[in-house]
Amino acid sequence: MQPPQSQPKLQLPGIKQILAVASGKGGVGKSTVATNLALALASLGKKVGLLDADIYGPSIPTMLGIPGIVDQATTPLPLERHGLKVMSMGFLVPPAQAVIWRGPMVHRALTQFLTDLDWGNLDFLVLDLPPGTGDAQLTITQTVPLTGAIIVTTPQEVSLVDARKGLEMFRQVRVPVLGIIENMSYFLGDDGKRYEIFRHGGGKKLARETQVPFLGEIPIDPLVAQAGDEGLPIVRKLPENLVSKAYQELTQRVLQELGSLPAPSELPSLT
Amino acid sequence: MSADPKRAVPVSLSREGSDFLTITWQDGHVSRLAWKHLRSHCPCATCREEKLKKPDPFQILSQKELTPLKAVAMVPVGHYAYRIGWADGHDAGIFTLENLRSLCQCPECTSQSKAPSSTGH
Repeated sequence: MQPPQSQPKLQLPGIKQILAVASGKGGVGKSTVATNLALALASLGKKVGLLDADIYGPSIPTMLGIPGIVDQATTPLPLERHGLKVMSMGFLVPPAQAVIWRGPMVHRALTQFLTDLDWGNLDFLVLDLPPGTGDAQLTITQTVPLTGAIIVTTPQEVSLVDARKGLEMFRQVRVPVLGIIENMSYFLGDDGKRYEIFRHGGGKKLARETQVPFLGEIPIDPLVAQAGDEGLPIVRKLPENLVSKAYQELTQRVLQELGSLPAPSELPSLT
Repeated sequence: MSADPKRAVPVSLSREGSDFLTITWQDGHVSRLAWKHLRSHCPCATCREEKLKKPDPFQILSQKELTPLKAVAMVPVGHYAYRIGWADGHDAGIFTLENLRSLCQCPECTSQSKAPSSTGH
């Protein structure tokens, strides 16, 4: 008699903490946040990996300036770029080719990315999750020993509704939610005024209502998109920029929240 | 939602003979659950659909009756649920911790679970 398919947590002994960056909705800047958070952690001297878990729409390669597919015969994966160890489906599939996979194939790919690649010793592995609450997210929450999840939203209601769904998913599967980041919070004009293009205070309100920490707000700056498209994220390209400062501050908040988490306890088994 | 986060966190699982599972919860409560009770509440789609089907008059014994009901393993799924593997090969049901706690058959828990519906009659 075979024991049941337990989907036990993957054993990743070289990785100390795994952070999932998630959003209920696409287009809120989740990959930008994940990339800049990873770089901000690395700038503190931490060993950091970044796994693009968005199998269907990988965007990390563009943001880190790694266009096209990677020849695994000459270049070992994960790649090293800007001090990060990086893996993405975008390294294996040409940018214009769609990945049309069912859930179990996504599961297998993510498991292989995590277990078959030599990540070495990492202080943090940042996972850039695809938007939503589907197969990939569920697979990761069931099989990856996540330390915590960070929810990214923008201030407007349509984004907040989906962010709440993402947050509730992590709660239901008992992954600690470290907090909410509000991206595209405001634009600081040349006149020094703060323009709240997508309304005001949505992220803080959601954090209050769901009783999770508010980790910080990140302003809009065209330089962020420009830096991402050039393959050199803003935190690395312009560390003194207002946006970079916001990332550095929220990274400190993330570290604070991680410090306050209780030690994880494994559930007992019966065999 | 439970007000006490310790309410649905098990600290130990053990077999009591071949028919019962004992779960000790973090809040000190001890649940004694018949395996039969758990199987009949299997939350998987197949079992739920099975319950909705009309009985087959030509099937004298069900698959469950052909193979003695026995749990072979109970393993965690993430931090939020358990998967129970049965001797007949069925292992699709994922019991969330809250669900397991709600299935407790002790007099205290069964009286609590009956209370709301009994007020309606």
